[in-house]
Amino acid sequence: MSLQEQKRARARMGKQERRNALIAYSFLAPNFLGFAIFTLVPVICAIALSLCEWNGGDVSKLRFVGLQNYGTIFNVNKVAEKGIGYFFSRVDLGIALKNTVFYTLITVPLTIVCALALAMLLNKARGAVAYRTIFFFPYVASMVAICVCWSFMLMKDGPINQLIMGLGIPFNKSWTADSNMAIWSIILVSVWRNMGYYMVIYLAALQGVPQELLEAATVDGAGKWKQFLHVTLPQLKPTTFFVSVMMIISCFKIYDVVAIMTDGGPGRSTKMLVTYIYDEAFIKVRYGQASAISMVLLVIVLLVTILQFRSEKKFSND
Amino acid sequence: MEQIVRQKAIRQDHPVLQRVVHSVIYLLLTLLAVFTLIPFVWMVSSSLKLDREVFSYPMRWIPETFHWENYRLIWQRVPLVTYFKNTAFIAIVVTLLQTLTSSFAAYAFAKLQFPGRDTLFLAYIATIAVPWQAYMLPQFIMMRSMGLYDTLWAMVVLQAFSAFGVFLMRQFYRGIPSELCEAARLDGLSEYGIWARIMLPLSKAAIATLVIFTFVNTWNDYMGPMIYLTRDFNKTIQVGLRRFIQENSSDYHLIMAASLCSLLPVSVVFLCLQKYFIEGIATSGLKG
Amino acid sequence: MKKMLALVLAAIMLMSVISFASAEDAVLTVVTWDATTTPYLVAQKEAFEASHPGVKIEYVDVASQDYAVKTTTMLEGGDASDVFMVKEIDNIINWQAQGFAEPLNAYVEKTNYDLSGFVGTEKNYSVDDELYAVPFRSDFWVLFYNKDLFDAAGEAYPTNDMTWDEYADLAIRLTKDGVYGTHYHTWLSAVANWTVADGVNTLADRNYDDLLYFYQLYQKLEDAGACMAYNELKAAGLHYSAAFANGNIAMLPMGYWYVSTLIGYNKDGTCSFNWGISAVPHAEGVKAGSSFGNLTGAMINIKSANKDLAWDYISWLGGEEGAAATASVGARPAYVSETVAAAMSSVEGFPTDETSKGALIPSFVGMEWPVAEKVADIKGIVNEEHTLIMTREITPEEGIAEMNERVAELF
Repeated sequence: MSLQEQKRARARMGKQERRNALIAYSFLAPNFLGFAIFTLVPVICAIALSLCEWNGGDVSKLRFVGLQNYGTIFNVNKVAEKGIGYFFSRVDLGIALKNTVFYTLITVPLTIVCALALAMLLNKARGAVAYRTIFFFPYVASMVAICVCWSFMLMKDGPINQLIMGLGIPFNKSWTADSNMAIWSIILVSVWRNMGYYMVIYLAALQGVPQELLEAATVDGAGKWKQFLHVTLPQLKPTTFFVSVMMIISCFKIYDVVAIMTDGGPGRSTKMLVTYIYDEAFIKVRYGQASAISMVLLVIVLLVTILQFRSEKKFSND
Repeated sequence: MEQIVRQKAIRQDHPVLQRVVHSVIYLLLTLLAVFTLIPFVWMVSSSLKLDREVFSYPMRWIPETFHWENYRLIWQRVPLVTYFKNTAFIAIVVTLLQTLTSSFAAYAFAKLQFPGRDTLFLAYIATIAVPWQAYMLPQFIMMRSMGLYDTLWAMVVLQAFSAFGVFLMRQFYRGIPSELCEAARLDGLSEYGIWARIMLPLSKAAIATLVIFTFVNTWNDYMGPMIYLTRDFNKTIQVGLRRFIQENSSDYHLIMAASLCSLLPVSVVFLCLQKYFIEGIATSGLKG
Repeated sequence: MKKMLALVLAAIMLMSVISFASAEDAVLTVVTWDATTTPYLVAQKEAFEASHPGVKIEYVDVASQDYAVKTTTMLEGGDASDVFMVKEIDNIINWQAQGFAEPLNAYVEKTNYDLSGFVGTEKNYSVDDELYAVPFRSDFWVLFYNKDLFDAAGEAYPTNDMTWDEYADLAIRLTKDGVYGTHYHTWLSAVANWTVADGVNTLADRNYDDLLYFYQLYQKLEDAGACMAYNELKAAGLHYSAAFANGNIAMLPMGYWYVSTLIGYNKDGTCSFNWGISAVPHAEGVKAGSSFGNLTGAMINIKSANKDLAWDYISWLGGEEGAAATASVGARPAYVSETVAAAMSSVEGFPTDETSKGALIPSFVGMEWPVAEKVADIKGIVNEEHTLIMTREITPEEGIAEMNERVAELF
């Protein structure tokens, strides 16, 4: 190939690429326009706000303060003086962070395992419609009703404790009124509510697992468990990526269950990042600090997501 | 068919063991289902009680007298019909727009190459990660200046273009083998054609999922309508429900009755779309 | 119940009529909470429209538990509703700082508005001697009691001069056969706010040692089974109104607003026992009849297009006529005069005994939460430690030490 031909080929390629990109953008446009105007722009404003002091009122009262909000929420002076232990035991942000991370670490794996197990058991099984509907029900019910309901269920002599006592375990504490148990009541309600939701996602994804692969595995003499490990699970990878990212994000953003059931208490035992943000923004009217806390949340979630995104790309080789 | 044959084959291998395992699984599932339903039983029972009986102690699963009038009362106390209509309007329009635009955008993210793809995708995810409470205010100020405040369209535009749908659909599309698209391209189909003739039919289960989620989330959203809808004829069910919780008294029996009513339409949507999880898709002849 | 329903329906119909009100009618939009179910709002609206022909009030109803978020967002977004009701003192302090509240001194001067009826409470709505809102409701706490249970136990009714120790003994004596001597709602205010009744302490004074007496008193009663346990109440979300209406609670310290609820309950048959009110007990060395309370008021939105009309409305609301309308349904107006007190005690269903009437005029009312620097932060801290003391995870002494330490760290 002569140099000129090569050049021409490259130009053709470039043209082709541009054309492809244009087509791709045309696919994106309808969603992106709405997304950019109604979500992206306000989010960028919020990011900018985290560097400002603004206690509401006219926008002219907005003042750029650099990283001062971050200094305040991390309580840098005190933490520098008394050590990192002080941050996690006394500073609001530290406590909220600790609670949120704990809640996420327990809830995410528990929900995924339950959801996947249910989806596997209910995929193409007899009588599955009834079961699926039942397990999805909690997600459909209105939040305020189910939270009130669960608070009552988890009372000292409520049905749940009676069940536990019935199993021979001596236990009669009121879940939501105990610092150590309160967060578990939030976890219980979250898993109960979301397990059916993620089950549905897995069910939908399972329909995309090619039958032939499973059959091939059966012919090879693989047991059900091996078939699951070596065929189904790898096929579900994109879905698991989606489920885990969405779960981590929604766990980090937990708000309504806490607001209705424990209101962050007792003490600060169920104070979460978003309950803290809500307080700062709408009770104490410090929008700058509220934004700064959300940025902390954003950075953590983004780091976790990028890590998962990388591993997803590595496995799918694209 | 094939499955039954296969199951038979296995059953012939270990007939007793297989049956025991099945029974145990069904037993466990049933127990879990009962556990899942307990709170709903309590909701139904509370919805038929008097206000002060709801939390009376020790608890009674079956009300002393059945107060069916609670179910009449909720429609009289608040304009629940209007709330239902508004919620249905928002939920339907949002679901349509969301499904359409996000399956479109997701195709680009999953199957097309273009500069800035991964960065843009991360930006989408990043916005999901920012709590709404943090950007509610800038968003509100903007929406107001557009004249959308206190209109149902405010809720539509806020929820129709969420990043969630794009993310969900992208992940499903990635599960569909790229070879299919390549083959179609060689056959001369345009990208739009591939999306319409190959991706859409193959992603019925995914679309059903997205429809259900969007519908449910819009239906049950509280904070959004609470902030954006103010006049009574614009309010939605979830906002209406909270009208039974007042500063100095709460009618939990009515809340339970009304939330059970609001559960019905969503359950119907779910049941209608159920079949797409069972049907599966015709992937025969494809290699993974 | 039926009457209530009729009232609600009437209100809804009225609202729909208003939206089609004739073009000449001036419409004043008033942002408030529980608009259709709060009897005094319905009464005020009727009375105002009757005395001001050609003016219509249109309520914008906001969920009470989200009032702060919703109103802040509305104002921040440039909402032009004419009047915003002030639910907590914090509201007006924030709105003033943000520049949403119309300064009112000029209006007061122009119309020669008499503030003396507010007996000083309007100071809570003032910043640097400029008035920003007019109070129209002032709820202070009284002691409700179930006369039937007292009769059955052969005890004399509470008087308007009783100490907290006497009250505790009484509560324990009344506790038997499934009857609870008293009842504490889960709020901080129900248990420990009494300390501000002496006119010296406030909850923002950065020293909480004075709360110890009340926490110990509470724990003594809880240990004796004289009140329902906090943990149970909290988990069940049991509301004090339903609890007292059940008829097995002898006494209940609660805000005055509960009077109208009880009158309603008596009317619709939710409960049928006889009840009365007395002044809340007082600590040793504090004047009998001292209590604490909270204000509700109304401010003019700086963006309102009808400021003069809005002033007509809020000045009427706070003044004697508005007070009469407020009092007519059992709520307590902020404006105090002989006429208003007479109106309060003559409400149908209000107890007729002298003690109850005497309890209408407290000797001193401290503010539940004062106007102070970083009061929202302090409120958060004190409430958090309160829940820990109440669930008994820490002793009152430890909790109070934490309050002192954490509040000190704020400054």
